[in-house]
Amino acid sequence: MKARAALVALLVAAAPVGAHEAPARAPAPLAPALPAPGSYELPTIARVPDASVLDDTGTPAPLLDLAPGQVAVVSFVYTHCADGGGCPLALATLQRLDRAVAADPELRGRVRLVTVSFDPARDTPAVMRGLRERLRPAGDWRFRTAADAASIAPVLAAFGQDALPLVDARGRETGVLRHLLKVFLVDARGRVRNIYSADFLSAELLAVDARTVLLESRSAAARVAP
Amino acid sequence: MPRFPILALCTPLALLLALAAGPARADETCQSPYLPKIVGQEDFLYVWTLGAEGVGDGSDKLVTVSVNPARPDFGKVIDSVSVGGRHEAHHGGFTDDRRQLWLGGLDSSEIFVFDVASDPAKPKLVKRISDFVEKSGGVVGPHTHYPLPGRMLISALSNRDGSGRTALVEYSNQGEHVRTTWMPADAEYGYDVRVNANLNRMLTSSFTGRTNYMRPLPELIGDAEAMKRFGNTVVVWDAHTRKPLQTLAVPGAPLEIRWALQPGHHYAFTTAALTSRLWGIFRKDDGSFEAVDLAPIGDPAKTPLPVDISLSADDRFLFVSTFMDGTVRVFDVSDPRKPRVVHEQPIGKQVNMVSQSWDGKRVYFTSSLLSQWDKTGDDDEQFLRGYAWDGKALAPRFAIDFKAEGLGRPHIMNFGSEAFYQGRVAAAEVDE
Repeated sequence: MKARAALVALLVAAAPVGAHEAPARAPAPLAPALPAPGSYELPTIARVPDASVLDDTGTPAPLLDLAPGQVAVVSFVYTHCADGGGCPLALATLQRLDRAVAADPELRGRVRLVTVSFDPARDTPAVMRGLRERLRPAGDWRFRTAADAASIAPVLAAFGQDALPLVDARGRETGVLRHLLKVFLVDARGRVRNIYSADFLSAELLAVDARTVLLESRSAAARVAP
Repeated sequence: MPRFPILALCTPLALLLALAAGPARADETCQSPYLPKIVGQEDFLYVWTLGAEGVGDGSDKLVTVSVNPARPDFGKVIDSVSVGGRHEAHHGGFTDDRRQLWLGGLDSSEIFVFDVASDPAKPKLVKRISDFVEKSGGVVGPHTHYPLPGRMLISALSNRDGSGRTALVEYSNQGEHVRTTWMPADAEYGYDVRVNANLNRMLTSSFTGRTNYMRPLPELIGDAEAMKRFGNTVVVWDAHTRKPLQTLAVPGAPLEIRWALQPGHHYAFTTAALTSRLWGIFRKDDGSFEAVDLAPIGDPAKTPLPVDISLSADDRFLFVSTFMDGTVRVFDVSDPRKPRVVHEQPIGKQVNMVSQSWDGKRVYFTSSLLSQWDKTGDDDEQFLRGYAWDGKALAPRFAIDFKAEGLGRPHIMNFGSEAFYQGRVAAAEVDE
């Protein structure tokens, strides 16, 4: 319950997240200006296959399901996470991204958010539905889980997402899953184009990276056009 | 608030919050901040060790040393894995999940990937990356292995022609080449790379190419032309786009770079090996950076050769090891623009790497610099030595003679922990 309370508190507060946005004493802002979309490269880091998971009604559904000209921002979380710098931070940032995408005609319908639980035993489809209701997506934000830990394991392995149950001195599970917060930008061909941890995670940067990848498909389309 | 015993949390932001909230706690201070931190006492040191002719099997190896006094094997070598052959073992680092330790060979350009998660007391060689030169487009000499989310950023020293023109090379954690970013034309040498994500800035330093670093040191020093072929620059990069922004003049081969660790401390330190000077790289009010010559290290006329530095987690003490006089000097860098030496202590006849625990209480040293640059005869001591630091002096805790043990020339050290990989809760507790 405490974890949920912490999560909700963080989301409701809508305070700036991330050390990036701490007030700067120096005249120049600490976080330098964002690069122009398409002015830099995001090479392929890895390839991930699409996978069958469960949507928040318990129905089998593809994880990515991307059409050409779309990208996905895939995040792995668990709702019992009490680390303010972990899942709550990611969800608060993704909520800002969701709002920004929904309000942008160029990104709306082209950037999909996919939030997946790596704790399917506790994060049932109903719990993920509850998470959706709390976050109130403005755009295409999908919430996924799996039937059990074994079903989600290959997805975690493909993305390189760790999640280790912590035990206490007597070997009893604490309910805490130690994980390195990671968010993945995946293009329509299943190529991972960037990976963000807490320090690299900002809604603005995610949007610029998404635009950079989307610009490629546009220029490719322009090349084949008569 | 109830207290939940948990391991130090994995996110750098959590770390920053912890730092802001109270005393620093975690482990070694010179790693990427994007690495999971281990609270408290480390169990193991993983020592990447050069093979030496006539010492044991003569091959490069990963040596695991027990360094937890609570263990019955404290201060002993508990495992050694030979990789076969001599590759000029040098530096290495963990992947961002701390499950793998990547170790590079400066001569062969091979990278050896060890699984340290399955059994942290017995690292297992699981992969050899042998396509570094080919896939990178001719880059040679993988040096710093710096974890970024899901990938390894590797700064190199050289290229196929043996000169110092080199690049930054990225590999995915799965071992696939991602990209190569050549150093800018006005600063073609490479050595270390360190990222500050909050500032979106990356710093690189500059050493020399393979023809120099694989040449016997006395011969090299006597070659005036060859001695001109060392780097004199630190480059400031946009970390996100990997684009160079500024080339700073730092004469005399600036080597290791350490960003300050405390929030609001927007500076880094480096040492110039050939000129024996301590430099600061400071962020200016306009967001650009300046390099400032801060202080001599020992007597530069005697070429002490500063080779490694270690900054305490509270940004107070900077340990500087100098190879030629085998000495460590501790600078108080509380005022980063006015460092002062507060302690000086001989460690051995030669000394290279220095690493400290996050709490600053334990400091470790190794002896080897490069196979062709290490001293000869009786001066060629090869050791790992562990010390306790009380803020004033270093007291010996244990020492291992790497020649007598038939191991070789010990170089970089990385910290390991059993509790971390087993999901056991470590000693520290934190408020949630």
